[in-house]
Amino acid sequence: MDIIEAKNIWKNYKIPHEKKNTLFEALYGLLDSKMGYTSFTALQDINFTVKKGEWLGVIGHNGSGKSTLLKIIANTIRPTKGKITVNGKITSFLELGIGFQPDLTAKENIKIYGAIMGLSDSEVDNRIDSILEFGGLTRFKDTKTKNFSSGMIVRLAFSTAVQIEPEILLLDEVLAVGDLDFQRKSFEIFEGYREMDKTVVYVSHDLSTVQRFCDKVLLLSHGEQIGIGEPSEMIQLYQSIVSSTPSQCPL
Amino acid sequence: MIKNLCKYRCLVKRLAVSDFNVRYKNSVLGFFWSLLDPLLMLMVLYIIFVDVYPSTQKNYHLFLLLGIVLWDFFTKGTSMGLSSIINKPGLVRQVYIPREILIFSSSITALMMAVLELGVFGAFMASSGLIPTSTIIYFPFIFLNIFILVFGTSLALGALNTYYRDIQYIWAVILQAGFFASGIFIDFSTYQGEFKNLLLLNPMARIILISRESLLYNTVVSSSDLIYCFASSIVMLVIGYLIFINLEPGFAEEV
Repeated sequence: MDIIEAKNIWKNYKIPHEKKNTLFEALYGLLDSKMGYTSFTALQDINFTVKKGEWLGVIGHNGSGKSTLLKIIANTIRPTKGKITVNGKITSFLELGIGFQPDLTAKENIKIYGAIMGLSDSEVDNRIDSILEFGGLTRFKDTKTKNFSSGMIVRLAFSTAVQIEPEILLLDEVLAVGDLDFQRKSFEIFEGYREMDKTVVYVSHDLSTVQRFCDKVLLLSHGEQIGIGEPSEMIQLYQSIVSSTPSQCPL
Repeated sequence: MIKNLCKYRCLVKRLAVSDFNVRYKNSVLGFFWSLLDPLLMLMVLYIIFVDVYPSTQKNYHLFLLLGIVLWDFFTKGTSMGLSSIINKPGLVRQVYIPREILIFSSSITALMMAVLELGVFGAFMASSGLIPTSTIIYFPFIFLNIFILVFGTSLALGALNTYYRDIQYIWAVILQAGFFASGIFIDFSTYQGEFKNLLLLNPMARIILISRESLLYNTVVSSSDLIYCFASSIVMLVIGYLIFINLEPGFAEEV
């Protein structure tokens, strides 16, 4: 069964020349035709399916549309054209977080997240200790997350996301800020997921983990789908694209 | 929408309670501020209207306090609803939840505060020896009516403010005007000014008027007043809902 099915996904962003954030500017913009939009195509015609238990890796250079695609799968943003179908409950890990509020403590944030994922109060309470322990944050359970370092936030978010039994997990650069010990623990979780047949969409620049965990890989470049297939093949293709295009930012 | 609100009721509860707690964190008196707030306003208005303009009204403090409490419910509810989307960017950008939950939970927070304030009003009423009669049965409906009005208005304001931040400044002015126009210190049952009918088009003015009839004057509330209030709340809910569902898809990009 297809857990995720993407058909002709397009996403255009309108980039205003002058960001109109107030009503006055918007009214002024209507009168002044010079204040227009530039259209930016972040994704064009993306097609893929993910089956139950499959790991889909998404690779590509910065700005190739990987995170936009993940947000569309998560349903936080909507495609301009095309259709995405998802069968199952998604746990998304976007922009290095899962929606924590800075004014709440670690514990309160975990409770709210549990409620988002549809867990009852007692189910969440049972898990709080193991979540905090996995992230190495037991001492900070009553600290507001605005006082956390970026590494602590990511660790807390990631351990919350994985301990609340996701069906489909969307991961965007989760391991980039964790230390070696945290990476090792995360890999153990990933191995467990492979055995448990969890469906995962994994975005990363770390090609060795993509090779290690993913069943297939989607390669994006400037919003276009270059290919989808065997991880080793796609990684090779990606590397050949990178080496054939001259660096765009001369040092 | 109703299906989503039922499905996520645990989340609504958690968000509403956590917002309530966050509001008074770092303040020494904590949630007592939500009770002090209307009382301080009562003091100001009472001094002005009883001392400066001696009023013939009996129990004028109750008359004022009821207006203040109900108007406060509307003000706090819509103001919190207005910022409920932009104040929680994480819950909009990083996870997907039906976004009406954020607005609904802000209205629930306002409801909780309003119930507390009503408790204060009740205490004042009892201490003045005023026992409400059977006409009190109208009041729960009127109160629910305000809640629907608050939620409907919040749906519109919360969605619009995500795109245009001016809405918060415009709304502040409208609330200021509403404070004077909603009859908090005017008794519309005796007031005969030329704008009376115009002012009573404002659902909050009529709601405050009929609440006083029900709680203070033991008057049977006219059904045309009740229907007007209820219908205007439902119209607001529908307008709010339409604005909301049209703007909701772009929230994560605008917040």
